[in-house]
Amino acid sequence: MPILAMDTATMVSSVAVADNKKLLAELIVENKLTHSETLLPHVEQVLNMAGTQKEAIEAVAVSIGPGSFTGLRIGLAAAKAIAYGLNIPIIGIPTMEGLAWHYPVPGIRVAGFIDAQKGNVYTAHYKWNGSDFDEVKSIEVLPLDDAINICSEIDGPVVAVGDMVSKKMTRMDGLPENLIIPPKHTMMPRAANIAMAGLKKLGAGQVGSVMDMEPIYIRKSEAEVLWEKRQEKLKQEAK
Amino acid sequence: MDKVNKDKEKIITLAIESSCDETSAAVLVGGRTVLSNIIATQIPIHRKFGGVVPEIASRKHIVNVMPVIDEALEKASVTLKDIDQVAVTYGPGLVGALLVGVSAAKSLAFTLGVPLIGVNHLEGHIFANFLSAPELKPPFMALVVSGGHTSLVHVKDYNSFSLMGQTRDDAAGEAFDKVARVMGLPYPGGPQIDKLAQEGDPMAIDFPKALQEKGNYEFSFSGLKSAVLNYLNSMKLKGIEVNKADVAASFQHTVIEVLLAKALDAVKETGCDTLVLAGGVAANSSLEKRLREVTAKNNIKFYFPDKILCTDNAAMIGCRGYYQSLAGNYSDLYLNAVPGLALSDL
Ligand SMILES: [Zn+2]
Repeated sequence: MPILAMDTATMVSSVAVADNKKLLAELIVENKLTHSETLLPHVEQVLNMAGTQKEAIEAVAVSIGPGSFTGLRIGLAAAKAIAYGLNIPIIGIPTMEGLAWHYPVPGIRVAGFIDAQKGNVYTAHYKWNGSDFDEVKSIEVLPLDDAINICSEIDGPVVAVGDMVSKKMTRMDGLPENLIIPPKHTMMPRAANIAMAGLKKLGAGQVGSVMDMEPIYIRKSEAEVLWEKRQEKLKQEAK
Repeated sequence: MDKVNKDKEKIITLAIESSCDETSAAVLVGGRTVLSNIIATQIPIHRKFGGVVPEIASRKHIVNVMPVIDEALEKASVTLKDIDQVAVTYGPGLVGALLVGVSAAKSLAFTLGVPLIGVNHLEGHIFANFLSAPELKPPFMALVVSGGHTSLVHVKDYNSFSLMGQTRDDAAGEAFDKVARVMGLPYPGGPQIDKLAQEGDPMAIDFPKALQEKGNYEFSFSGLKSAVLNYLNSMKLKGIEVNKADVAASFQHTVIEVLLAKALDAVKETGCDTLVLAGGVAANSSLEKRLREVTAKNNIKFYFPDKILCTDNAAMIGCRGYYQSLAGNYSDLYLNAVPGLALSDL
């Protein structure tokens, strides 16, 4: 039974159909067209390419961040409505866990670097345990330099993945010696990875609900941050 | 396309609206029978910020969108299999907010294998009147007054409109919100001004009216807004305590008289016998009362939607979508949000 997977967390828009035996079809696009316009046409095309009737889909897996807030919501709204419309489970996959699936290799660590704007990154580390990935450093926002420095303290090779690697890190000098920068096409999101992670979770019964699933934002909205700062200031003034 | 050819009166439309700070889903049979109209409002969440925060609105929409759809189906006692078409607001509005509804609607239409209809939110506001008044039929003049828009539209038929004029700068609703904020009234400001105005003298202060020449159906409220702010400022500088109720009443009176005069002229010029009021500001009780009085005096039929249908809601989107479907005006899966979508001739 095939799973439908999508990732719209970054500039890349990707849709895949896979089952436990193989990847049936996948589309990966990084161009100027907006995800909101093309995601559904891509879903339709990939299902056609895979020869899969939509009624045959067993579950929908979706990349849920962190990443572009709007991109994440386009993907999640689509995934929720498809799962609801077909009455099948939805599975949310952290975007960087999806990226880790480029390297299901024992003995290395995969470090995610997703653009969090203003020189910051969302970062998290994953390790392959033989059948799935363990999150060995949980998701947080850090200045890019700090996120890189953390990698230098780790024993053994660390593979850097995510949009910030190609945006900034490929042009940086003095990166830690154990940090490996892979070719671009194996550091960016692809829906096949979300499908593989999704199949694992589905097998383990780890499914979400369309009624309350949210993207992983990590960051509050700017308005909330400003409001909290103002409240803090008022409190100080009151003292 | 068999489903579309079935008896038009029995077509079941699922509609979704998420353009601003309400997430809403509705189910309609035919164009005018609302089986359910579920609205999840975010007004209390945005109040502490003094206005709608787009990112927070979008975050709420993605949580609310499926529960409102689910509740709308349940309340209507229909299942997904019964849905013949999906209508959704694709503009105008906040882009991140619109995208949640558009993305969900496209996916539902695709999975259910039914047509998709992208609806202009402002046309939806006009069509809310068809839900409140079963006997209402085009042609008529529509005065659209909402947070971001003020326009006069000659609705010649269900799918034939002519835009008489619209705002050049601030919409009436924007002026209400701004004046309310400066006077320290809580968000949303419109209803607060309306309430305060009931205790004030509408003739107390003479605020300016813009674009008064006959035959000009454009609106401008930025001058009026500035005049009110200047008045409040100068009184403050002089140390004179203002009567806020008088300011609210005089400001509101000025807005209403401008809207009224232009709407009446437009009705007369086009030879319509009917005026309808539409949009969020349609819930303003003084505006509705004045329009009722003046239209009655001039032998013009007057309609305005029930209060719940004046707010942003999916039922009005479903109604508009239904009439679009009768004209074969569908969207494809490439439908995108258009935040600056305007009213135009059709
Ligand atoms: Zn509205």
